Order: sequence, then C-alpha cells, then structure tokens
Amino acid sequence: MKTLKLPKWKLDLFAAVLQRFGDVHAPVARGDEFVFQRLEHWSDARLDYTRTIVPPKKYFLPPKEQLFTYDAHGYHPSVTGLEKRLVLFGVHACDIYGLNMLDEVFAEGSYPDPYYKARRRNVAVIGIDCVPDEYCFCRSMRADFVEKGFDLFFYDLGDYYFVLVGTAVGDDMVLATESLFEAVTAEDIELYKRHSEDKVALFKTDLELRHLPEIFELEYQNKMWDELGERCLACGACTVVCPTCYCYDVADTVGLGECKGERERCWDSCLYSSHARVAGGENFRETQADRVKFRMYHKQRGFVVEHGRPSCIGCGRCEVTCPVDIHILDVMNQMREVAHVV
Amino acid sequence: MSSDARRRILIVDDDDDFATAIKTFLELHGYEVHRAADSRAGVIMAQAVHPHLVLMDVIMEERTAGFFAVQNLRHTPGLEQVPVFVVSSVYAAAPDFRIKPEKAWLAHDDFFSKPVDLTALLKAIAGRIGGDGVGALAPNPGKTK
Repeated sequence: MKTLKLPKWKLDLFAAVLQRFGDVHAPVARGDEFVFQRLEHWSDARLDYTRTIVPPKKYFLPPKEQLFTYDAHGYHPSVTGLEKRLVLFGVHACDIYGLNMLDEVFAEGSYPDPYYKARRRNVAVIGIDCVPDEYCFCRSMRADFVEKGFDLFFYDLGDYYFVLVGTAVGDDMVLATESLFEAVTAEDIELYKRHSEDKVALFKTDLELRHLPEIFELEYQNKMWDELGERCLACGACTVVCPTCYCYDVADTVGLGECKGERERCWDSCLYSSHARVAGGENFRETQADRVKFRMYHKQRGFVVEHGRPSCIGCGRCEVTCPVDIHILDVMNQMREVAHVV
Repeated sequence: MSSDARRRILIVDDDDDFATAIKTFLELHGYEVHRAADSRAGVIMAQAVHPHLVLMDVIMEERTAGFFAVQNLRHTPGLEQVPVFVVSSVYAAAPDFRIKPEKAWLAHDDFFSKPVDLTALLKAIAGRIGGDGVGALAPNPGKTK
C-alpha cells in the first residue's frame, strides 16, 4: 500500500481541492455531539470528534428512498441522486469496518443492491485515526484498523499526517495536489508503528469474544432476556445509530383509481413490534424480550455463521444512545457469567 | 432593487483597496458592481442581488474560504449556474500549492492570480456575460471583441 505524508498546515488546501471529487462532508459539531454533513467552511470540520450521532451508513442507505415508480407500461427505477459524487472526510476505522460489512450484505451477495452499489461507487471515503473514549471497544471487535474500504486514511503523527493510499481514486486525489504530499522516510514509518502500539494502551474498555457464539447458543432460554425485554422501550434508537443495522421496510403507494404508484423503502428496526408481523397478524417475535434477544443474536451469533465474525464493530454508539442503559458490553459480560465462562 | 439593464458583478474580497479598485474599474466599464467583504456575506449578498458573475477571492476569513464559498453558491437555489471567477493570491501565499490543470478543478469558471491583469479580466468578463468590455482604461480594446 502506498504511503505518503501531508504536513498539517496543508490540510485545508488539500480539503479545498477535494471538492473536485465531490461535495466534501465531514464531522461537524451539533451541540455537544457530532454529525456528518457538507462542509460550508473548512473550520467547521471537527476531525477530533469522538463519534457521530448517526454513522456514515446514512449516505449509502438513506433513511428513506424511492426505489422505483410503476405504471401501465412497466416499472421505472429511481436513479436520482445515485450518481452524485461525495467525499466523506474523517471517517473512523470502525465506521469503515462497518461499511465493509454492509458491502458484504448489499454489494457482494448473490443479489447485489444497485442503489447501494452506485452510492458506494460515487462516495469517496477518507479515513482518519481517532482517540478512543470510555465507550469505544472497537479493538475488542478487531475493527480498530482497516486495510480496505477507504480511498485515503490519515494518521495523526504530530506535525503531519501519515497517509495510506487505498484506491486509485485516493491516488488521483494525491495527484491532483501532488505538491502538497511528501514521501515518507524510515523515521516516519517507525513513528507510525510506535503510534499504533501506543494507541492500544488508550483503550479503556475490553471485551472477551472467545466462545461467545457458543455461549449464545446455550443461553437462548436464559431469563436474562426477559429482564432485558422488560427494560427495553422499543424506541429503536440503537438500531438507528448502529453502523451495521440495515433492516428496512418496503411499502407501495398507489393512488386510488390510478394505474401507477411508487415503491419506497425506509429504515426499520427489529425492535419494533411490527418488524416480524406478517399477513394474518402472526408475529414471529411477539414479545419485546424476543425482539431484544433477536437483535443480540443476529449481531453476535447469526452474523458469525454467515460472515465469520460478529457484526458489532464496537463504536459505542448504542452504549451512549440507549435511554434505559441497556449496554451491549454488559449483556455480553453477563452472558459469560451465567454460562460460567469468564 | 437592482436594475436588469446593466450586468451585475459581485466582488467577494476582504481586501478593501483591491475591491475598491476593481469595483471602480468595472463601473467605469458599465457594470453594476456589488461587494461583500467575506465569504459568508458573499453568499448572502449573491442571494440578494443575483449577480450575473462573481469575482471570488480565496484567502479571506479562512485560507480556503473562497473555495468553499464557490461550493456554497453552487448549492444555493438560483445561483447554481452563476459564473464564478476566482481572483486570488493563494499561489503566492502557499508557494508549493499548485493545481493541475489550473482551470479544470473545482466549480469555478476561471482563475486569475493577483496581481490581476485588468485587461485579461475585463476581456474574460465581457466574453462571459457581455457588456462593452472596452473603455478608457482598457489599453487594447480591439482585442476584446
């Protein structure tokens, strides 16, 4: 992988030129929190952010989108906005990891989603290293480092950024501003290695993943799920902020007496009582305990079976968002305890 | 309310001397000229006067303010297509900063380095939005047709 360095004082110039590749979006402050949005001024960018309220998935799976319209002549796919080029500047490694997992679901499966794939193709991703806070456990989930899914990745090494070039688009970005970047030296590489080692010590939260799928298998009937079901408000906030929750609902809107309509999809949540309800009123997950359990099992066990690893990336968003303090870390640690595997 | 009879130009530049000089020069050539002193005010004023062309500085309240202001204009209803000429000394301020190819990046239409060649600027403006483009201060009016 090609590596370069960019002096920090040149970062604003680089960001300005990035607009050649699309609208530049980056984390900006909203009150005490952060959101990804289009930059109107470079100084609005907060590259020191902890986490955004909603992850970057919103750019690839919009909360609501029209899929197609139909009439007597057939159906007409909705392509508006799919070709719009964006640059996401300042995406953390865990969120890029989350995008890579969404790729497995929406871009690499037997039935790739053309809407997702078009957006993924047209949205450039520039990653940036971060400092974990007390809610981060991405290292436990092996999501603190990514080797793909970004066009460029920036590591803060003091006076300059150590830059990994991940794709041809990233290379084009460098070439568009070639004079800004410099070659790395052996000292830079050593400093980068030390920085990576030092970061490990910054994690305050750790989670033991060994045997978790097996433990989940054995504790399916545990009363803990009923207790969690009692507490859960079914607000769905954890699924909205989760980088790898991708459940959606699809609905048709047809005008009375008209031979035309539209089909839309919007975010859904497996915590909603309607999520598993089918025609006739049958609900496969009748109680809130069933739904909480389903979400945890899909994250920590079901995804392992299908994709070889849990879909949780350890970003900590659900930890800080849940209004009744249901913490996935507590749940998993509790699971180990009840299974007598600590 | 601005008159539609004359072509309107908005200068967005925090350099009073430069802006005043350019404003006077363009008014002498028949243009109606408005001026904003920073990028935020520039976008607001553009919405008010609907200029036929914008002359945008780069280094204002931030070193890249003008570059982002161009994008902000492109996202403002009614101003998406307004021609923008960037007039800046950013190359002098950041000597190792160069863009390749110079006129093919970002969403502006032309780039002029300060100190600006007034004849070339006037010719480019006239070529883009009309107006006489010639006058007492233009040294070689024959070339502006």
